[in-house]
Amino acid sequence: MKNMLVGKRVLVALSVVLLAVAAGCGKKEMVKSTDGAPGAEMSTPSSAETQAGGQITSETLGTQTAMAEAQAGVAATMEKPSEFQDIHFDFDQSFIREDARPTLREVADYLKANPAASILIEGHCDERGTAEYNIALGERRAESTKSYLVSLGVKAGALSTVSFGEEKPLDPGHDEAAWAKNRRAHFVRK
Amino acid sequence: MIRFAKPLLLSLLFLCLPSVSGALLYIDINAPGGKLMPVALPDFVVASGDASLARGFPEAIGGDLGMTSLFDVLPRQAHLERIVPEHFGGRPLSFPDWKMIGAEAVVIGKVEFRGDLMTVEMRLYDATLGNMMVGKKYAGPVRQFRKMAHKFANEVLYAFTGVRGIFDTEIAFSARPEKGRGKEIYIIGLDGQELRQVTDNRSFNLFPRWSPDAAGLAYTSYRTGVPQIYLRNLATGKERLLPQVGNSKSPGSFSPSGDFLYATLSVKGNSDIYRMSLTGSAVQKVAGGWGIEVSPSVSPDGKSVAFVSNRSGSPQIYVKEIDSSDERRVSQAGNYSTSPSWSPAGDRIAFTSLSGGRYSIYTVRPDGSDQRLAVSGSGDCVDPSFSPDGRYLVYTLRKNGYSELKIGSVDGRWQRGLFKGLPAVGSPSWSPRQ
Repeated sequence: MKNMLVGKRVLVALSVVLLAVAAGCGKKEMVKSTDGAPGAEMSTPSSAETQAGGQITSETLGTQTAMAEAQAGVAATMEKPSEFQDIHFDFDQSFIREDARPTLREVADYLKANPAASILIEGHCDERGTAEYNIALGERRAESTKSYLVSLGVKAGALSTVSFGEEKPLDPGHDEAAWAKNRRAHFVRK
Repeated sequence: MIRFAKPLLLSLLFLCLPSVSGALLYIDINAPGGKLMPVALPDFVVASGDASLARGFPEAIGGDLGMTSLFDVLPRQAHLERIVPEHFGGRPLSFPDWKMIGAEAVVIGKVEFRGDLMTVEMRLYDATLGNMMVGKKYAGPVRQFRKMAHKFANEVLYAFTGVRGIFDTEIAFSARPEKGRGKEIYIIGLDGQELRQVTDNRSFNLFPRWSPDAAGLAYTSYRTGVPQIYLRNLATGKERLLPQVGNSKSPGSFSPSGDFLYATLSVKGNSDIYRMSLTGSAVQKVAGGWGIEVSPSVSPDGKSVAFVSNRSGSPQIYVKEIDSSDERRVSQAGNYSTSPSWSPAGDRIAFTSLSGGRYSIYTVRPDGSDQRLAVSGSGDCVDPSFSPDGRYLVYTLRKNGYSELKIGSVDGRWQRGLFKGLPAVGSPSWSPRQ
């Protein structure tokens, strides 16, 4: 079985070489992405290489890292599905409530049963107050959640945190019912 | 009555009657009340006959002068004399025509084109003495006409008051380009024109803050999936990623020299105030503790920093002397005060405070005394940012789920909507003088 990572690297190397050749020769040939080793995953850069009337135009291929980052950036604005429920917080508070404990036990049990797994804890706030303070409050909520899970025996290394402050409300409403839903920690499998 | 300079000797020279020769028109910008200076802004002479440009200049200048509450711009319909190219070639204005309609000052202008380049000559006349108080010529692309008008309005204000105007400054802010997207950074002129988008990475881009030379913006972006602080050169578009210390991070304000950025960084869930070197890589904690500390705003002399801390149990505004490490609380009332903005004039700090169920904007002296309500409205007024002269605030008005940017004078005499063309506008930051 071919190692998929090696196959990817070969593919990228071949693409680079081909581009260098094409650039150097300035010939009227179209550079296609190469077929990689069987089983290798094709990267899909946005190639704008065209041939029109003998002219070559080209667009620099994004590196895999840049593309992955761009996708992560867009993904950051979207609600990610979770097999765990959100836990909720009191207004302007970050302490773990009683009603959060069942979910937290579930998360802890999952992580302890799957030592290779890791989870991103997102901290969120409702829309009241001001945005910068809410980033810090969301950060506290995420960290407070992480501490609680560690106290249940989860390895700290399995948990990472990010705050979205008031930027990503689950419920777009402007009443206490919506706000209560938005004061939360959200668990995302990484 | 136009107020004149205070010293008795000068007041003997500058009489109230407008017909005394040798008297200069002068406005004390700090005098409350008083008669407005009537000024006429006739259509500019435009070589190509472009009517929109002929009127665009005086309208931009009039909008700027209106901000000051010092001028009364006379209606165009009242003008008796039409401005022609000869007025820029030696022919005097018919000053009796202008005085007859009550004008004490007249601004005229002429626009010429040479290919893509536009040259504009603008002149401010004292209608009583018939002398030119200030005259300027500008050259640039046609699309920069507003900027030229704003620069001349700065000159008009300076000619009357001895104080430099801020009419060519701009506001950076964050907004959602469309539903379902994150937020991007934008810049807009004070007149609500010339909106331009700065970022376009489809993630969350928040908290834009101007560098002291107005050449760059620091801001937080989630473009890699997690928040980082970027420093963007507005002219070249080049960006620099600042040291990735901590988890959440947001820029607060630059030091006056531009060598440091004061920022909020969070380490292990705890947000504190840090100072990040922009010439090296040093990152140093400036204020913090077990509580939440956020939103640093540096004084114009660089010696103190205002910030938010909830160490007392609720978020309040504190000031720290950077050298002595003395800290004091300066917000006086209520149980939620955030978003400090230190006036570039040094004398006051604006902030958001919750009172009576609504967020309003207050100002307070840096020593914590004389807290005053500056802006309140029918919704929440949050996130103030001072103009470079310390006379105006830009802020976000939120109500019923929508938000808009507004600007107003600190003394409350003047205000106007700035922008509401995009969802979720917020986090405005007023540029330094350019």
